[in-house]
Amino acid sequence: MSQPQKKIGDTLLKVEDISLSFGGVKAISGVSFEIKEQEILAIIGPNGAGKSSMLNVINGFYHPQEGTITYKGEARHQMRPHNAAKQGIARTFQNIALFKGMSTLDNIMTGRLLKMRRNFLWQALYWGPALKEELAHRERVEQIIDFLEIQAIRKTQVGRLPYGLQKRVELGRALAAEPDLLLLDEPMAGMNVEEKEDMCRFVLDVNDEFGTTIALIEHDMGVVMDISDRVVVLDYGRKIADGSPDEVRGNKNVIDAYLGVSHD
Amino acid sequence: MLYREAGQFKSSYGADQAVFPIAQDRWFIAAAAVFAFVVVPLIADDYWLQAILIPLLVYALAALGLNVLTGYAGQLSLGTGGFMAVGAYMSYKITTAFPELNIIVVFLFSGLFSAAVGIVFGLPSLRIKGFYLAVATLAAQFFLIWLFNKVGWFYNYNPSGTIDAPPRAMLGVLITGAEAQPEVKYLTALSLLSVFALLTKNLVRSSVGRAWMAIRDMDIAAEIIGIRPLRTKLLAFAISSFICGVAGAELFALHFGSVETLAFDINLSFLILFMVIIGGLGSILGSILGAAFMVLMPIALTNLFVGGLGMQAVTAKHTEFMVFGGLIIFFLIVEPHGLARLWQIAKEKLRLWPFPY
Repeated sequence: MSQPQKKIGDTLLKVEDISLSFGGVKAISGVSFEIKEQEILAIIGPNGAGKSSMLNVINGFYHPQEGTITYKGEARHQMRPHNAAKQGIARTFQNIALFKGMSTLDNIMTGRLLKMRRNFLWQALYWGPALKEELAHRERVEQIIDFLEIQAIRKTQVGRLPYGLQKRVELGRALAAEPDLLLLDEPMAGMNVEEKEDMCRFVLDVNDEFGTTIALIEHDMGVVMDISDRVVVLDYGRKIADGSPDEVRGNKNVIDAYLGVSHD
Repeated sequence: MLYREAGQFKSSYGADQAVFPIAQDRWFIAAAAVFAFVVVPLIADDYWLQAILIPLLVYALAALGLNVLTGYAGQLSLGTGGFMAVGAYMSYKITTAFPELNIIVVFLFSGLFSAAVGIVFGLPSLRIKGFYLAVATLAAQFFLIWLFNKVGWFYNYNPSGTIDAPPRAMLGVLITGAEAQPEVKYLTALSLLSVFALLTKNLVRSSVGRAWMAIRDMDIAAEIIGIRPLRTKLLAFAISSFICGVAGAELFALHFGSVETLAFDINLSFLILFMVIIGGLGSILGSILGAAFMVLMPIALTNLFVGGLGMQAVTAKHTEFMVFGGLIIFFLIVEPHGLARLWQIAKEKLRLWPFPY
């Protein structure tokens, strides 16, 4: 497989010794890793390993009891999700979290919300600067619609779309924010081979064309080994491996975790 | 066949985002506007204007306000009557304190007071949702009515406890008070409804409206996109209560002329909520259709029973309640998304009619 030449840069986000528990249940214990600029990082692990919790920690939805997160060189404290969004972290969800009553176009336009500056009084008039702003953002959104090849469904209510397209619209909504770090929670779950190939192409293109750093959770090992630059493996809330796809593939702990070895 | 968009090309995003992108819609709305603004004042008598059309327009405005909150932002509210009472009582206080002030300006200022009250009672919405929020807004309803009954300052210590709309003119034409012409009151209510419907439509197709709908449809995802839930919900409460406050002021000054708090009790909140549900949650047109349905249908039924079937007035009233209740249930089962959705389906059918495909 010929990977395009990429410049993987410095550390964009660094998590150190993160521990998260819900009551007595430890979801994550002492996990550290780095996400480097422009790379595609896959987080894998068996069910319940703490992968989704890790993403929720990164975008400020959960607050870990211990550990620090450094993003763009600054340590963060008690961040709310909208702050994370403001700093350029966007994500998609494992169970699609689109706004079902709105059209594809409106869903993706919502992704650009933070970039829209006019207040509601201007918007009520829908005239002058507010109209100009609305149309400028519409143009950017249309570029994303072209990129994802969903022109035909731009006015369709997303609740009526098939699953694969909904996943694509959700990616579009995340892209609309022009994020520096894109978190994808199982972007290919429940898709057939063709849809998976499409989605892989979009992920690689986003990474390649926009230079977006991507951290994704995925269960399809073929996909993970193919598209990611680096793989972090979690099991029972701990990190058991971290390295290039080839290193991880040969790691004994990883094989044990997936094939099932008693933990005692 | 009658309603086709074939051949109507748009060459800019602006044209594509217009309120009425299809020519037939523009003709229809223009005809409706001419009918409402010119024909109706010429042909309708005082009874129709004063007892039917003015309340219809005022309720439609209130339904529009509630639709912003419940239909677009997804926050269920039973405090509409209370917010309308704020509008009514504040318009009375302002216009008696500043008799020179233009009455439309008075209406808008009363709306601002109502918006402020709405923000206060919207604060619990950050923590509670759905039916629990409805109960919290019920507190607004009962507290505000109690307040306006209890504190004499609000009704200028009038011994009867009522507030009366004083005569106020704009450009030399009386708008409120007993001497004002019903046509003038009707046109005032119609103009305010048209302006607010347009402004609200603009809001809901801009980023504010998208933020409201995002909160309504999936609040967690909305937060992760960068929408701040409290600010967004409070803005919905503020704008919704502003519109409801103006509607309350109109109900007092244009329709009743003289009211006590009883006019704004919980029944009014329910009436407006039913209008929104029957008309269509999350639809501007639905607010107006819902109000028209709830105002016109009982009158049509009464006319049918008494005039058409020769029933006794009392029997007709009871039958009307039953049939009206049945009709509401029928509409909700046939189309849970309301009259606005039925209208949309009719338009889709008209694209092909009279051909099968």
